[in-house]
Amino acid sequence: MDSNEKNTDMTRVKGRVRFWRVWFAPVAAVGALAALVTGGLRSRPAPRLAPQQGQPPAAPASPAATGTPTTPTAPTSRRMLQMAESPAAPARPFERVYTQAAVLGGSASPDQFRRSLAGIAIGVGDHIYVLGDDEIRIFDPLLRRVRAWRAPEGATSLGVGSDGRVYVGAPGRVEVFDAAGKQVAGFSTGEKDRPADVTAIKVFGADILVADANARIIRRHGRDGAPRGLVGNQSKTGSFMLPNRSLDIAVDTAGVVYATDTGRHQVTTWALDGAPLGKFGKFGMTAPEDFVGCCNPVNLALTPDGKVVTGEKMVARVKVFDPNGTLLAVIGPEHFDPSCIHIHLAVDSKGRILAADPVRREVKVFSLDQPPRHGERE
Amino acid sequence: MIEKSTRRRFIEGSCRVLGLVTLGGTAGLLTDRASANAVYQVDPNKCKTCDLCRTSCVLSLSAVKAVNDFDKCGYCMLCPAYMDVMSKPDEKGVPTGKVCPQDALKRKVVGHVDADDPNNNYYEYGVDEALCTGCGKCVKACLPPAGNGSLRLEIRYSRCVECNECAIRIACPDSAIVRVSAPGMAPAKHDL
Amino acid sequence: MITRVSRTWHRLPARTRYLWLLLLVVAALASSVVQAQYQKKPPDFGGVYSFPSPTHPEPRAAWVRTLDVSLLVAGLGVAAWIILKRRSRDSLLLLNIGAIAYFGFYRKGCICPIGAIQNVTLALVDSRYMISFGVIAFFFLPLAAALLVGRVFCGGVCPLGAVQDIVLLRPVKVPEKLDRALGWLRYVYLGVAVWFAGWGLHLAIGSWKIDVGRRFLICEWDPFIGLFRISGPFHMLAIGAVFIVGGMFIGRPYCRWLCPYGGLLSILSRVSWKNVVITPDKELDCGLCANSCPYGAIHDLRADRASCLACARCYASCPREREHHGHSTSAAPLIQVQRQ
Repeated sequence: MDSNEKNTDMTRVKGRVRFWRVWFAPVAAVGALAALVTGGLRSRPAPRLAPQQGQPPAAPASPAATGTPTTPTAPTSRRMLQMAESPAAPARPFERVYTQAAVLGGSASPDQFRRSLAGIAIGVGDHIYVLGDDEIRIFDPLLRRVRAWRAPEGATSLGVGSDGRVYVGAPGRVEVFDAAGKQVAGFSTGEKDRPADVTAIKVFGADILVADANARIIRRHGRDGAPRGLVGNQSKTGSFMLPNRSLDIAVDTAGVVYATDTGRHQVTTWALDGAPLGKFGKFGMTAPEDFVGCCNPVNLALTPDGKVVTGEKMVARVKVFDPNGTLLAVIGPEHFDPSCIHIHLAVDSKGRILAADPVRREVKVFSLDQPPRHGERE
Repeated sequence: MIEKSTRRRFIEGSCRVLGLVTLGGTAGLLTDRASANAVYQVDPNKCKTCDLCRTSCVLSLSAVKAVNDFDKCGYCMLCPAYMDVMSKPDEKGVPTGKVCPQDALKRKVVGHVDADDPNNNYYEYGVDEALCTGCGKCVKACLPPAGNGSLRLEIRYSRCVECNECAIRIACPDSAIVRVSAPGMAPAKHDL
Repeated sequence: MITRVSRTWHRLPARTRYLWLLLLVVAALASSVVQAQYQKKPPDFGGVYSFPSPTHPEPRAAWVRTLDVSLLVAGLGVAAWIILKRRSRDSLLLLNIGAIAYFGFYRKGCICPIGAIQNVTLALVDSRYMISFGVIAFFFLPLAAALLVGRVFCGGVCPLGAVQDIVLLRPVKVPEKLDRALGWLRYVYLGVAVWFAGWGLHLAIGSWKIDVGRRFLICEWDPFIGLFRISGPFHMLAIGAVFIVGGMFIGRPYCRWLCPYGGLLSILSRVSWKNVVITPDKELDCGLCANSCPYGAIHDLRADRASCLACARCYASCPREREHHGHSTSAAPLIQVQRQ
């Protein structure tokens, strides 16, 4: 073979091959490196989150509040606790002071509630009726169990009449039991396509008031279950605003109905025929007489001397108000589990407040101190 | 032309056949067990809203976004996830600070509107995905007892590149990223 | 999203469309039956308000995965044809660019057969692991192709290999002994990756403990995923840059010395049915092919099937090939397909 020929051939071949082969590779490499650099710039470590808009908080915020929560429920209320107990909040002397007198149904008790605790009411002779563990349990004033029977399926609340009858709320229905625990009647409540979510029942004379959280209204029923009217629809929105889907009611001896309007942070009063009478309360995170969070107060009861007892969530506490809105007492968050979304309340004829904590499944009994002391809260 | 010995060809041929049979057999065994595509999703029952979703995703804007379950939402005016309830309130008593650092949680008033008293209004809350970084602050603020727990973090498949091994899953300290079979509905949130 | 759905819808045959409509009707009826049961109803806001239905964007439809597998099969077929029949470096380059565009940048390099090793391992170890058909296909098809036609996957379809192949500028000759020694790293990596994918690492020696759950190491240390996504953590982008710069001067370092799947392919390629072969020619033993092979796969002027990555550069450099491009020639091409 002629080597010259071969060389010429190869040069021509190599020349053609070399030209664009040589340039193609570095261009591709440069392009790839540019893509990587772009990627690096795009993936720069995320900047620290921008400081929040609006004014700085009114109370000193604790460093623990912003960092590392371990439970999925507590963080905001922890901040609130610290705020409530911090020196910035003045120690207000309250008119009344309540101290814990006893615990019912807790882990140390033989009548321990093991699964649930959903409602509480006071009956004849200051007997305590509790709905929990799918049962209705009756205790005497010395906290000894008297009777118990199985609650109906899906029971959500209970109320007691002066004749000892027990009214238990279930989805769309109210079941009636006599004093011995036998079911004697029952009626359906709510609309056809919107069965009632009975979150509270109170009895006043011949009227049974059913708090329907589904329709966000209070329904009046006769003893036979016949509907007699509505309470709470004569307002601007025609119903209560209940973001937390729960309504609690109480009736005083004069027939005035008290209801929690949680979305508006108010306790509202109504006549039995539905006429609006008044309201008190407002949203606030700092002043103790205000109701915190998005929807409070969640529970309600009345003392024999006509004071209003409210239960709140987010900062789990119980407060006592005058019906004109003056704060009389605070039973602090240290008594309750911070993740409570309800604190069911009842008050007996001696003015003892019974607060049912559904998370710890215990009923705490608070009695009124005599005489009231300044600034000391237990 | 290279001629291989018949013995060599036989050995190679049998190796080939053996290889094909093994491959086919294993493939068949796995196909028998195969299921539809599996995708990654956030389990809201395990998620502790720790901000790692925002920083661990391989994408610069995380594929994890907050979503609002409208049937659980309270439509509150004083939404604890929308406004920072601890911030200073204005003259009407409504707090002015916002929880979302990117202002991605938007709201609009719905139903009957009362212009005088905002307390009488219901608001629909929605997440603007283009702004949401998946940090989970709103989700944390909505958790009970403060809120209804209607906000949760979710991997949005319109953005997720479906890595073989999710980088957020590696980082998550609560093992909250689980594999579910497509179409990848998030596990239902247990009511408290 | 909506246009994609409507396009898909119109491409379906009528029978399938009716079936989908029927399914929708049944689902609507079923859901309304469920809703009639008791449930807490949301508030009535007054005025006109309809609840927004929560949007749940669906993940990529199943047909996209089928498309991927079909394109993989097509790619393997086309690569086999280009490498073994057409013998053209230029066509192979085009196929490589197409593979980078689709399997690389569009599909972001995931799922790839190299990563599929881990999925398959995990599926064999843990029967609860959900493995999809696409992943199985991606793992086994290139292996089957290797048994039949050699490492056509490496040559034409693999986007990682294609990136390194394209940036190759001036290959440095790696001494054969070193090349072989480094080749063992592939199997070490394969073992480590399989171990971590199947079992994780749980060791306790005295007070020193290491407890690592199952991890997909190959995915976490993939050199070019950062490039294909154009984003990623620093270490992935850095590894990518190292392999690109290195790949300009050393031929396909990842493929030759680190790729665990390549290790499997090279074993199978030894007994493949058809492969790239250099026939001896007493008249023209110029050795240009050996010079041009960047991967040191030509030893003593014979192709080493285990290391040949089917890049078709030897074809491009062979003078016989240049002269007689095609089949109807008097002089037989030197590099040809041999049936063994």
